[in-house]
Amino acid sequence: MSAFLQRIGKPGRGALLAAPGVFFFAIFFVVPLVSLFLLSLDKPSIGNASVQWMFDFRNFERFFGRALYYEAAIRSAGLAALVSAITLVLGYPLAFLIAKTTNVRRNTTLMILVLCAMQLDMVIRLFGLMVLMGDVGIINEFLRWIGIIGDEPLPLMYNFTGVVVGLVQFSLPFMVLSLVGVIQGINPSLEEAARSLGARRWQTFWKITVPMSMPGILAGLLLVFAISFSSYVVPTLMGGWKVVVLPIHIFQQVAELGKWQFGAAIAVVMFAISFLVMLIYQRAAAQASGGRI
Amino acid sequence: MALADKSIRREAAVPFVLKLLAIMALILLLAPVVVVILAGLNSGDHLTFPPKGLSLRWVIAFFQSDAFLPAYLFSLVLAVVTMIISTILGTSIALFLARTEFRGKQMVRAFFMAPLMLPGIVLGLALYLFYLSSGLGLVRTMPGLVIGHVLVTCPYVIGTVNAALVGFDTTLEEAARSLGAKPLKTFRAITLPVISPGIIAGSVFSFIVSFGQFDVSLFLTPPDSNPLPIALYSSLRYTFEPTAAAAGIFAIFLVVVSMLITAKLTNLRQLANVNFS
Repeated sequence: MSAFLQRIGKPGRGALLAAPGVFFFAIFFVVPLVSLFLLSLDKPSIGNASVQWMFDFRNFERFFGRALYYEAAIRSAGLAALVSAITLVLGYPLAFLIAKTTNVRRNTTLMILVLCAMQLDMVIRLFGLMVLMGDVGIINEFLRWIGIIGDEPLPLMYNFTGVVVGLVQFSLPFMVLSLVGVIQGINPSLEEAARSLGARRWQTFWKITVPMSMPGILAGLLLVFAISFSSYVVPTLMGGWKVVVLPIHIFQQVAELGKWQFGAAIAVVMFAISFLVMLIYQRAAAQASGGRI
Repeated sequence: MALADKSIRREAAVPFVLKLLAIMALILLLAPVVVVILAGLNSGDHLTFPPKGLSLRWVIAFFQSDAFLPAYLFSLVLAVVTMIISTILGTSIALFLARTEFRGKQMVRAFFMAPLMLPGIVLGLALYLFYLSSGLGLVRTMPGLVIGHVLVTCPYVIGTVNAALVGFDTTLEEAARSLGAKPLKTFRAITLPVISPGIIAGSVFSFIVSFGQFDVSLFLTPPDSNPLPIALYSSLRYTFEPTAAAAGIFAIFLVVVSMLITAKLTNLRQLANVNFS
């Protein structure tokens, strides 16, 4: 211990500084997560939330044995992948626009708009989206008003489309923010050089700007996948309980059926999928940076 | 020269298709927010197209509401308490990380950032289970809820304070100490002024993240008092009350003010990288 204290050197209160934080995270982060793992491996026992140390794999067998559950896992992952792709297509241009806006005032305004959209409570944003996209919502009423549609409304909400739009709205700021810094960091002389060598604007964009911003693209994709994969509130409100994803199953098993062990098992599966995606990301990131990570 | 000038200017111009997509993205981001404001200020029973007219009727209804006003105030208290604890814990962790070198430091850093990557509902469930089985009396209580919120907001403070500490010259502290200043005095006179923008930005972030937190609160909310997101969610499942939109207006106001404060204090681009480092 004294060797450790010596190693941290002059500002020797280093370890003491970290003590409350370490203590807090150990008790309220590590212990709960470990017990969640243990509980997922426990014998199913309805209404009982404490670990009984009776290990079996019944919860996982049930998860992977029933289409209701494993299909929800596939649906959740597919949905998150689709949302990540759409978010990239919409988010990259916005990040590019912000990065290329040299006027300080306009740049700051755009950044503040994106940050506000990100930090505003998602349930409030969903209120707005639902008022826009409902059967008698503003979009349908507008289309009816100008005569594009008749009495039959466009089915925008309470279905898969609604969930996708909601999740893209939710995760777009995260994509934009992970791209802006990277695009701004690209040395402009590279783009200028390509241009002066005769490359057209689009060629420069695809051959220089996009490849150079790959680390940001990958980080954004990972982040968007993680947050849209784990969202509970967007699928419940925008999907009208028709798009059943893993977080909905967790809530139902635990809050409505009292099946704590099975709920914990679903949570572990979610955790595992997130972890897997993270590993894929790290491989991709290492490749993008030429193995320098 | 004029030619080169022109080519550089053209280079900075954003192609039309990209501009179009960027504008679509901005509309998608902001339209729901605008709709909430209009819905809260409209004079009809619900927001229609074309809109009827403006009135403060729903804002007044919000102040008389026994569902949304208490929820708003509860969220406010929750966010302030969370902010105070997160700021203290996060700042001390960031200071520790910035000035100690040991093997596996990156791992430790990633560990403190982990609550950001963990699905909120999984963290909420894990805490709920822990409270139930540990008998600490935290099940569906305010302290239990605060703990969950501190876990998801602490990383923001760690990130912003850490960013403020990058490039901080520790020899300044050593100089102060060698001139006879006590540790606390050194901290207040040398370290604090350097990191205070980071601390304030981190506290603003933890306040606003806690105020808008839904997933973690889901399993931890006390039965008799709901935070605003949970109260709004319960009402949104059945109807679109303009009173809820009026509550939303006050939440939007809080967010805008907070972000303006952060923008004044820090380089926004630095903040963008905080989440992911």
